[in-house]
Amino acid sequence: MLKCQEVELRADALVDGTPLSRRERLSLNMHLLMCRHCRRYVRQLRALTAHLRHRESPTAHDDQVQAVLDCVHHSKQTTD
Amino acid sequence: MANPDLETPEFIERLRAGDRAAFALVVKHYHPRLLGAARTMLQPADAEEAVQDGWIAAHRALPKFEGRSALLTWLTRIVINQARMQLRKGGREVQFDPTEEGAADALAHRFNANGHWQEPPRAWALSGPDALLTRDELQHCLESHITAMPDNQRLALQLRDIQGLDFNDICNIMDVSASNVRVLVHRARARARLFEMVDRFQETGEC
Repeated sequence: MLKCQEVELRADALVDGTPLSRRERLSLNMHLLMCRHCRRYVRQLRALTAHLRHRESPTAHDDQVQAVLDCVHHSKQTTD
Repeated sequence: MANPDLETPEFIERLRAGDRAAFALVVKHYHPRLLGAARTMLQPADAEEAVQDGWIAAHRALPKFEGRSALLTWLTRIVINQARMQLRKGGREVQFDPTEEGAADALAHRFNANGHWQEPPRAWALSGPDALLTRDELQHCLESHITAMPDNQRLALQLRDIQGLDFNDICNIMDVSASNVRVLVHRARARARLFEMVDRFQETGEC
């Protein structure tokens, strides 16, 4: 039987969907079935990582894009 | 995650052939992400410069891009290399492999000697109008905790949890083994105390 602290150390695998051996998966699931603290920990770690994902950057503004293109173009001219 | 429209073989072919509109589209979609990656290693102005240099290098190398990795992965690797070069010029070397720093389990004090929770996770308000993770004060807290992480953990967290790249791509970008990337991401989430911080914030409302 896994200890809670061992579940904490393995929780990333569950959150990331890392393939686990049948044995590992079984022992994690057994523990989670019985332990509400660890169930809560995994649920919260999932919520936290999902939240971080939403901070992902939007697309660049057109003037930013133009600045990059100008710079690329300029460097091409100077090396050609 | 990479934008699927920019990763098709047809689109890559247009890019390699020097199609300007295609290149502009790539800049539009990927510039902010590359900036996000560079900012994990450099001050904002230096990050801008690293990404700009990255675009120049990428534009030159594009005809040789073989599409063995996703375009986004390839670009990120170029930008990270630019960032590394900048740091090196300033006399700093970045170590991407995990070091002893942050190796201890940051949640260890919440378990008893038998490995059971002695201070279990608190209930987080995950939904409703005052949902914990959407509160502005918490965003500032997250920001400052992420800033305070070691560079390698911050970069791994940025690529994995913020940009959603998969572990293989991150290995490829950072030149670090898959198991070491997992160690870095784990440390960033739990051991660099992001979890602890949010849990404490739920209780006290303080960072």
